[in-house]
Amino acid sequence: MNRRKFALLSGAAVVGAYGSIKLQKTAAPPKLGDGPAGNSAVAIIRARSYSDDLVSRMLEGIRQCGLDVRGKRVLLKPNLVEFDAATVINTNAAVIAAAVEVFHQLGAAEVKIGEGPGHRRDTLDMADDARYRATIPKFESIFTDLNRDDVSPVKGFADEPEFYFPNTVLGADLIVSLAKMKTHHWAGATLSMKNFFGVVPGSVYGWPKNKLHYYGISESIVALNRQFGRKAFAIVDGVIGMEGNGPIQGTPKQAGVLVMGSDLVAVDSTCCRVMGIDPEKVGYLRMAADLGHVRPERIQQRGETIASVRTNFALMDEYKDLRLG
Amino acid sequence: MYLESRLEFLRASQNPDGGWSYFPGKGSWLEPTTYAMLALHGTGWDPGLDRAWKLVRSWQLADGSFRPGGEVNDGTWVTAHAVTLASVRGVNDSSVRAAVDWLLKVVGAEHNVYTRVGSFLHLIKARLDVSHEGWPWREGNATWIEPTAHTLVALKKVASQYRTSEVEHRIQDGEELILSRRCSDGGWNYGTPNMLYVDLPSFPETTALALVGLDGVADPAVGQALNLAQQFRAETKSSLAKAWLQIALRCHGKDVAPPQESPFASRDVMLASLEALGHPEGNYKLFCAGGRT
Repeated sequence: MNRRKFALLSGAAVVGAYGSIKLQKTAAPPKLGDGPAGNSAVAIIRARSYSDDLVSRMLEGIRQCGLDVRGKRVLLKPNLVEFDAATVINTNAAVIAAAVEVFHQLGAAEVKIGEGPGHRRDTLDMADDARYRATIPKFESIFTDLNRDDVSPVKGFADEPEFYFPNTVLGADLIVSLAKMKTHHWAGATLSMKNFFGVVPGSVYGWPKNKLHYYGISESIVALNRQFGRKAFAIVDGVIGMEGNGPIQGTPKQAGVLVMGSDLVAVDSTCCRVMGIDPEKVGYLRMAADLGHVRPERIQQRGETIASVRTNFALMDEYKDLRLG
Repeated sequence: MYLESRLEFLRASQNPDGGWSYFPGKGSWLEPTTYAMLALHGTGWDPGLDRAWKLVRSWQLADGSFRPGGEVNDGTWVTAHAVTLASVRGVNDSSVRAAVDWLLKVVGAEHNVYTRVGSFLHLIKARLDVSHEGWPWREGNATWIEPTAHTLVALKKVASQYRTSEVEHRIQDGEELILSRRCSDGGWNYGTPNMLYVDLPSFPETTALALVGLDGVADPAVGQALNLAQQFRAETKSSLAKAWLQIALRCHGKDVAPPQESPFASRDVMLASLEALGHPEGNYKLFCAGGRT
């Protein structure tokens, strides 16, 4: 049994609870590839508070990224994890409400919201706590609990002959990852790509979705984005993010930005740089470098410059070496 | 009105194939079908329940496990639900024994020498007892509170009928696992009381489920958890958590005020079933250990 196998066996036992050996650090980081051909546009739009005109800001960012959603069935995938009034775990309701309005304005055929939290079973109760029902018009009629949606098999995902995904996700033409800008005590950062953990149905894989932990956190992030990244767009809520012991127990950190783009690897790499994290040292981004662009010279930065909005997020000791120079 | 409106919703939302979906109009799944069947048990609706049971049995696989729904081709934690249903319906045949055998075979994947060595060497950065077997959501994954609680309910129902000593061992070990995973506040979350040496809070619904699994256990920790459950019940806004808390508290003989009379205003089949089960005149006793000590 090699070191990695040992780490997976022992780490996976509790990694679902985020409490074990750092899988990231057991495997040698892959060489950073050049990425796909061409460049990727990523827009950084300032939004100092949730009472700003988020609709206009989002429209500006989407226009800068050249996204066309006319006639498409759009699924908005927020990050709804747990609720703690003392911190900012979830995508802010104002960001989701703005996205609903924006995609309708842009001519989407339909706009739905879907999420499958990893720890809690009463999704609508959490949505209440996070003020989704109070803030987002007709929330219940457009929301699907992805943990309890009907599912269909997909072949060959995560070394499984068949892996099951919610029909709402499989049927969407465009999935918008409405992620929260947070540090993560397993992956370094959790942004638009890791947000896809919420499309794995609890009714099949449980709470938490332990299968993903056994497959590997980084490996699962990459596999999910290999599956869905081609029909994805990201809007990362960095108006107020989370630093330190994220994704649940960290502390609020204002970054004052929305970060958007169709290349989720490039969006996450940009977010990392805004947070003062070197994306070239983040395991899942290195692994995903064939899906999108990590290197700054391959990312066309629109809107604000990184330098003008960079604000270092506090990092746990284990991740101090990720700090961007 | 409270109980009958929920039962009526369940009767009206049964799918043509005999099962129930999580929400009306969707495909049937074993989990909501189980709760609906338990809620409607003994209400004089036998033809509907017979159709449901026929569907549930059709989901059993060759290894004895049960599929969670019609579209899923591998067996999971819902096998415990199928065993509970069989016991409630008085079915005791080779198919049910195969399901029990599958439950007895499955253990949490962290129950291995490597994890225990890792724990001993403090490589696992959490306060976590990995010495117990417990049950995972899916074979090959780690142990969690909810599948362990459901399996304990099932095995306690069949303990006197199948391979008694092995069943008794797994029940005792499963109960010890739940007790070992208690959060510092006295309740339970999904199964990790501590992460990176930071204590994590418990959740109302998983505290209730753990207590259901611990029905019949005499331990001071259970008494403390029951007090917390009472507090959760008073404070939580979650209807699902309230329903599970009512079931758990009643199973432990606690005096719980009946819910306020209200029609069922949701479309959530699981919620309707669990609220009906937790009603004073509901079938909550089907979750109880039934005097087993």
